[in-house]
Amino acid sequence: MSTITLLGLILLVLMVLVGGKAGAQSFLALILNFGLLFLAIVLVAFHFSPLIVTLVVGVMVLALTIFMSSGDDLSSTVAFIASAMVLVLLVLLIVPVEHWAMVQGFGPEDSEDLEGLSVLVGINFVQVTIATAILSTLGAIAEAAMAIAAGLSEILEQHPQVALKALYGDGIAVGKQIIGTTFNTLFFGFFGGFLALFIWFTGVHYSFGEILNDKIFVAEILMILFSMLSVLLTVPVTTWVMTRAVAGKRKRGAHEATK
Amino acid sequence: MGERAIIVQKFGIQQTHRWWAWLLVLLVGAVVVVGTHYDAALYRDPIMRVTAVTQQKATKETDDFQNVDYQTGQTLHGVILNGRYRGNRLTVSNTYSASGAMDQRYRVGSQLFVVAHQHHGKFSATVKDRKRDTPLVFMIWLVVGLLLLILRFSGLMAFLSVAANGVLFFLAILLNGATQGAQVLWIFGSLSIGFAALTLWLVLGRTRQMLITLATTLGGTLLSIVVALTVFHLTHERGMFYESMQYVTQLPRPLFLAETLLGSLGAVMDESTDIISSLYALKRERPELTPRQIFKSGRQIGSTIMGPLINVLFFIFVADTFPMALLYLKNGNSWGYTFSMNMSMGVVQSLISGIGIVLAVPLASYLASRWLPKEVRA
Repeated sequence: MSTITLLGLILLVLMVLVGGKAGAQSFLALILNFGLLFLAIVLVAFHFSPLIVTLVVGVMVLALTIFMSSGDDLSSTVAFIASAMVLVLLVLLIVPVEHWAMVQGFGPEDSEDLEGLSVLVGINFVQVTIATAILSTLGAIAEAAMAIAAGLSEILEQHPQVALKALYGDGIAVGKQIIGTTFNTLFFGFFGGFLALFIWFTGVHYSFGEILNDKIFVAEILMILFSMLSVLLTVPVTTWVMTRAVAGKRKRGAHEATK
Repeated sequence: MGERAIIVQKFGIQQTHRWWAWLLVLLVGAVVVVGTHYDAALYRDPIMRVTAVTQQKATKETDDFQNVDYQTGQTLHGVILNGRYRGNRLTVSNTYSASGAMDQRYRVGSQLFVVAHQHHGKFSATVKDRKRDTPLVFMIWLVVGLLLLILRFSGLMAFLSVAANGVLFFLAILLNGATQGAQVLWIFGSLSIGFAALTLWLVLGRTRQMLITLATTLGGTLLSIVVALTVFHLTHERGMFYESMQYVTQLPRPLFLAETLLGSLGAVMDESTDIISSLYALKRERPELTPRQIFKSGRQIGSTIMGPLINVLFFIFVADTFPMALLYLKNGNSWGYTFSMNMSMGVVQSLISGIGIVLAVPLASYLASRWLPKEVRA
């Protein structure tokens, strides 16, 4: 049995033991997300536009992650709409910044891995790097949107008549609780992945200026910053969507009552 | 916590002066962006600003796998901005492809690092790379500015904790370099304890809640590594390709474990903080809850957040391999080989972290049910 299979089986068993049906669903979502990610790469290899593929796959990943984990209807719907909006905002930012920084493709540090590979493959790597940056933030967007929507829907359950203005303050308060720990998840997640690269920089004695302008380094740091920004944007956007949803609901409720 | 509440209140007072804060952040942003645009004097390597470009005609290139690309040569005229050669005019050539994986097109106004050659009194240079500090600083400013404006004091704390961890991380890398990478697992293993303690102290202060969260974080992460090592032993690491790891300059196996350890630490900490603070809130509202009920609630809370958290790490670990995997596919490799050589290590990392995240749920619930104080003060 291969290592991946056994580790996967252990994860499945543990998730079912701890979370029951919800755990099994989350595991399935994880596998489907992997399938979607791989599909995105294959589609781009077939010369579909990287940006459009990423947007479609991104929305599907958000839907899968959010609707397949246990949450009530209101908070899942709000989380999905909010995370899709954050995704669009993020694309609007990532596209110009990546064109500005020009960190596409590979750097001199990659030359050993690139040996024997043709790099003139006729696919625009600026767009591929944009796609990579967007995909790497998807998990964080979904998680943050769900946490804030769930927190707000709990507040609504306890105080159903809370004023909309107060609800906005509550959203920021929930955001304050989650942002510190979410930033740490992102920081350690990314830095765990870049450990080898940073060791390389110190081992080869890059100067501070060289690191600060290095293609790979800037690309990786930009990815962390995009993720942090997406989590940050999720706080006000999710809260805003929740207040809209509640306002709409109350209006309909008032309508029914007058009838 | 009392001290903290006062500070928060102080920040609350400043709410009336919000537009000042916005103005200040905007101003700082303008200063750093413009500043880095004109900071060439700070660099030792010569920097050239392109003042004119002549384009040649594009030529069509076809590789062994029928990939079609276009290469274009360009001649760049520019002026050196800093150092010994400051003010010197020079001309360099550059070739870029339409795909731009290893090269790029330069335009008028681009600032480039060049390597200068002095040959028989004649001055010439070759292009090394583009100057990228301005977009980098712009993005850092955007994130920090929004963090402070939206979340104010909590934003500041989040920023401080990331900055402090960054410094610790940097010191650990220097230490690793000083020991030639022989102790990488021990360095980053013991450092994880420092990371976790520091972060939780910044978020929770020195409280019992912090201790329970710390114990869960370390326990969950350690357990996942133990499970991973056992599985490695049982399966003889079949299907793991250490040679596919990028930028490796030392023994890959301990490095891989150190990477995994760090990667999962943040997520396990995130989760433990969520579960245990929710259980504290629950106990505050309903002090009559028995340890058994607390354990059950903890499991309930944990099982809803574990899936999305594993997803966060999965996308961080695996999305990064997109460009290289794409290149493999375009070079006529099969899907299976592309997966093995690019994504298998990221998937193993995600799975190990996932195991840690799931194991932390019962651990947090158990520890909270045992150690939660009888009376939780508001």
